[in-house]
Amino acid sequence: MTRAEEDDDILAPFFAAGRDGPRPPETLYNLVAADAEALRPLPSPPRRQTSPLRAFIDALGGWPALAGLTTAAAAGVWIGAAAPDAVRQVAGIDAAAGYELADLMPGYLSEEF
Amino acid sequence: MRPAAPTAGPNRTDPHESMPMPLDENAESDEALVAAYGRGDAAAARMLTMRLVPRAFRHAVRMLGGDRAEADDVAQEAMLRLWRSAPEWRPEARVTTWLYRVVANLCIDRLRRSTRSTGIEAAGDPADGAPGAVARLVERDRAAALETALAALPERQCEAVVLRHLEGLANPEIAEVMGIGIEAVESLTARGKRALAAALRGRREELGYDES
Repeated sequence: MTRAEEDDDILAPFFAAGRDGPRPPETLYNLVAADAEALRPLPSPPRRQTSPLRAFIDALGGWPALAGLTTAAAAGVWIGAAAPDAVRQVAGIDAAAGYELADLMPGYLSEEF
Repeated sequence: MRPAAPTAGPNRTDPHESMPMPLDENAESDEALVAAYGRGDAAAARMLTMRLVPRAFRHAVRMLGGDRAEADDVAQEAMLRLWRSAPEWRPEARVTTWLYRVVANLCIDRLRRSTRSTGIEAAGDPADGAPGAVARLVERDRAAALETALAALPERQCEAVVLRHLEGLANPEIAEVMGIGIEAVESLTARGKRALAAALRGRREELGYDES
């Protein structure tokens, strides 16, 4: 038997007896649990799945910005489709008369023809 | 170590702590539990406490030559550091390796600050006269003799022997815990065992060695 084997032979029952080791007192579990609770980070709220539409709206600036854009678009359509008299007067347009090319580009017509 | 505030204990329940995915006590790794605690999961803290406190305490008792009061403080401090580290825990770091290292460092700090205690407190329950009580007493005395002999070893030898032969770690993991090479672990373990065997050789008969 080598020296190392002899040492192993001597130590085996001591290691077997010591393997379980001492058990911690109940108070230690309570103290550790209290520390864990005191230091526990706040749970993060669950993440919502973001739809493409939602991402688009968020990119525009959210619902308030979308409402503003919608209002502006509707106003533009209304002004274009049913321009009130006040707009015609300010613009100097007589919608009923229509337009000729000469009205829009008088200089071009006079030079070429 | 500071006494904790009046504790709510590990069984505290809070209706706001509902988890989307309940943790499986047996299936979750220590690393997954630390990550879950870092996200605020109270159940993970309870499981980690039950799993790791015995290891930390046991290792500290052995490193501190059987001083259970000091070991109690060391185990609490090591776990405190774990709670603090949890939010930034690196997934590749093994929790038990980290814990053994922290416990050992805390023990070595304390040993260097004070005279190393070799006093052994009574371990286990008193003899009750039931069948097997004598065998338990023999086991207890052997464990106490081992603690005393371990306490007489140099710190690093003690740590290597405890991790290898009592905690059952493989040499590569011990090397990681101790921050040394595998050959150095083997050398420390061999020298530690030789010194332990020399110390315990004379106690074989006294502690019922021949009956085993």
